Amino acid sequence: MGLGLLASRVLRPQTNPRNLLLLRSIVTKPELQSPEASAAAAAPDPTSDLPPRTPVAGARVHFPNPDDAIEVFVDGYPVKIPKGMTVLQACEVAGVDIPRFCYHSRLSIAGNCRMCLVEVEKSPKPVASCAMPALPGMKIKTDTPVAKKAREGVMEFLLMNHPLDCPICDQGGECDLQDQSMAFGSDRGRFTEMKRSVVDKNLGPLVKTVMTRCIQCTRCVRFATEIAGVQDLGMLGRGSGEEIGTYVEKLMTSELSGNVIDICPVGALTSKPFAFKARNWELKGTESIDVTDAVGSNIRIDSRGPEVMRVVPRLNEDINEEWISDKTRFFYDGLKRQRLNDPMIRGADGLFKAVSWRDALAVVAEVIHQVKPEEIVGVAGKLSDAESMMALKDFLNKMGSNNVWCEGNGPTPNADLRSEYIMNTSISGLENADVFLLVGTQPRVEAAMVNARICKTVRASNAKVGYIGPPTDFNYDCEHLGTGPQTLVEIAEGRHPFFSTILNAKSPAIIVGAGIFERTDKDAIFSTVEAIAKKGNVVRPDWNGFNVLLLNAAQAAALDLGLVPESGNSLESAKFVYLMGSDDVNLDKLPKDAFVVYQGHHGDHGVYHANVILPAAAFTEKEGTYENTEGCAQQTLPAVPTVGDARDDWKIVRALSEVAGVRLPYDTIGAVRSRIRNVAPNLLNLDEREPATFGASLKPEGTQNVSSTPFKAAIENFYMTDPVTKASKIMAQCSALLLKK
Amino acid sequence: MARSLYRVWNHGRYLGTLSRPFSATTDALVETQVKPGEIGMVSGIPDEHLRRRVVIYSPARTATQQGSGKVGRWKINFMSTQKWENPLMGWTSTGDPYANVGDAALGFDSEEAAKSFAERHGWEYVVRKHHTPLLKVKSYADNFKFKGFPKTEGK
Ligand code: SF4
Ligand code: FES
Repeated sequence: MGLGLLASRVLRPQTNPRNLLLLRSIVTKPELQSPEASAAAAAPDPTSDLPPRTPVAGARVHFPNPDDAIEVFVDGYPVKIPKGMTVLQACEVAGVDIPRFCYHSRLSIAGNCRMCLVEVEKSPKPVASCAMPALPGMKIKTDTPVAKKAREGVMEFLLMNHPLDCPICDQGGECDLQDQSMAFGSDRGRFTEMKRSVVDKNLGPLVKTVMTRCIQCTRCVRFATEIAGVQDLGMLGRGSGEEIGTYVEKLMTSELSGNVIDICPVGALTSKPFAFKARNWELKGTESIDVTDAVGSNIRIDSRGPEVMRVVPRLNEDINEEWISDKTRFFYDGLKRQRLNDPMIRGADGLFKAVSWRDALAVVAEVIHQVKPEEIVGVAGKLSDAESMMALKDFLNKMGSNNVWCEGNGPTPNADLRSEYIMNTSISGLENADVFLLVGTQPRVEAAMVNARICKTVRASNAKVGYIGPPTDFNYDCEHLGTGPQTLVEIAEGRHPFFSTILNAKSPAIIVGAGIFERTDKDAIFSTVEAIAKKGNVVRPDWNGFNVLLLNAAQAAALDLGLVPESGNSLESAKFVYLMGSDDVNLDKLPKDAFVVYQGHHGDHGVYHANVILPAAAFTEKEGTYENTEGCAQQTLPAVPTVGDARDDWKIVRALSEVAGVRLPYDTIGAVRSRIRNVAPNLLNLDEREPATFGASLKPEGTQNVSSTPFKAAIENFYMTDPVTKASKIMAQCSALLLKK
Repeated sequence: MARSLYRVWNHGRYLGTLSRPFSATTDALVETQVKPGEIGMVSGIPDEHLRRRVVIYSPARTATQQGSGKVGRWKINFMSTQKWENPLMGWTSTGDPYANVGDAALGFDSEEAAKSFAERHGWEYVVRKHHTPLLKVKSYADNFKFKGFPKTEGK
């Protein structure tokens, strides 16, 4: 049998995880226990013709030092792993998935569930593979009767106190305990006592708890402390009195709290807004991109029929790892509320009347021809995709106006040097920094995932963080250096003690907030930061520590496409304003007789001023390219149908251009993208970060002086930053409960 | 049942690939190159569905599950959004015959298989990058490493 098994493995064609699985059943044949057979199985066969095994989930292995590789044998297969890896990781490299509850690849190792037991030759007892370091030449056996029996025993104990409420549990169908009990669970229980029960905790409006289901893996505790950086959760009591909780009744105040829903291997922590709304096997997953901040987290939009039911993260090591912020996860109910369904025109009485697309476009086209080209202004909103911004710019340029910009980029954006508006270190590169200087940015509210990286770095390597800006909360140790640009100047001139910290650092990173784009002295501030960068040796050929942290999903692409207004105050003399989903642009100075077109999906501020409304699709309903703050272009995919009579943004602009007699030369999204290829080819290079080519050294010297106005917080309310999140009830609840001080 | 058949077929095919160089019958198969769009043409699928744009991707691991059994498969997303709630019963209706095909019925072992399938049907496709995890050295002893002196709490 042993030989037969081996033979079938040799015959196994290359890399096919399905086939792997097929053969990876646990075998309890007595032959396996017989000495000859096990000797045959363990003998490290003349492996030359063994196909290489693929690591679990196609994982890549990071070798910190290639010389330090050791070889271990997993079920007879030799694998090379870096020194110091655990037995469980070695098995993963060998393509063997070990059952586990407490181990999570992104959290510290707890080793308390004992589900990962494997047999190691010469070891008297099964070992917990997640905590045991692999040693050279170790012979690990994962499919022996000993391992199976050990896991079955652990499973029986776990199920002893676990309620049998899978039919009413939201985790049902995507539950680790369910999965693993299919393989290792017994079909009957031997436990005849009462199951224990635990009081549910109130963790706030996002996380629902059913604490009786908890199996005490402590993943949530480790997540809260290590990743979210809040010491909210803990383990109380001992033995069967053990409980997860916050000790005193307290809400979880982290902006990443939603992730405990995912990491909880059972249904103890589930999503409150999603509770009892749908079963996960009814949902259709669409892999897409989040646009609520400039990080571009990778998400999966789960929809049922025409409705978005929930948003969950998906893996992207370079951007969000496996986490998403609460805003990303829970804003989705805003997609159903306050939507614009039909094209509308404001009548003489000030009320909107629904009209047909033809009429609406005709009215807009007529008005746009009546104003002078210089009086036409276009503003793209925070959530605009690159395609629609391209179309808008082309259209207004054809009308003779060059006043197009994207909100958030300020009155005089600098689009010439790409290194001046993207994160040059890259988000994952931040992990290598040892000193951070945050200038006017509060990453915790502006980009929670970037903050999680900084937090991770601070925890891992004790990196120092200095912060200049208004007082705010940090979830890691941080030195508050000052509130205004004055401190910055002091550092630049070397008068501040933090300057020597930067000077002594190996790889310092400076992160400038995009809130500074709105300041009048922005050029001066940037020159000061560049002076610091120069003196502190922050930008070198092997390390670029100069970063700008953007606020909105549209910003980077808008600057790449050259959405730069001709003059900073064109709104004051505008007669025709085209708002493409732009709600936060300040329209106070707009002349009263200006004609405003609002194209967007939500009725928010922009609509109050609008004369004509053109309904557009939200990002869950269209295909669009977004560039994140580190310069990585990604695309959303449509998950659900559009609401009412809404259309894709670029299609509306394209249709309008035809009615206005200046037809844009593209009819398909492919054609728009070829147009983008001429302007900013990096936007079509999907899922790859495109670094900036030139550094800031090419910039002419500025003459401006910094003002003494302190930096302002760029975002007041983490939970409500754009029209969709503002329309969301869950986000409103969060801001009411979690932000009150 | 269908699943196990599929598996058998899969295995058969792989063995076929292995033995191809030695067998004369399969050699003939190699000769018959399928031209792009050909399968679509003979299959009687309406024209508008042969000119679709599709996205080929490999679904990420479900965030709540650690198992990797389903990871590494390739799927085709037809980007179908022609759906509406039926006013009579509240059920979901769709005007797109491919609405449920991509999610439920098509799965491929490799990117190439998915691509060639799309090619044979004449679909215009893009392939999304498959993100894979990065395994870094971790150790239990890290829990007890000296990480600097304890910081004062409650600042
Ligand atoms: S609540 Fe969930 S994640 Fe936390 S210890 Fe219990 S089972 Fe583990
Ligand atoms: S996974 Fe190893 S002890 Fe829990």
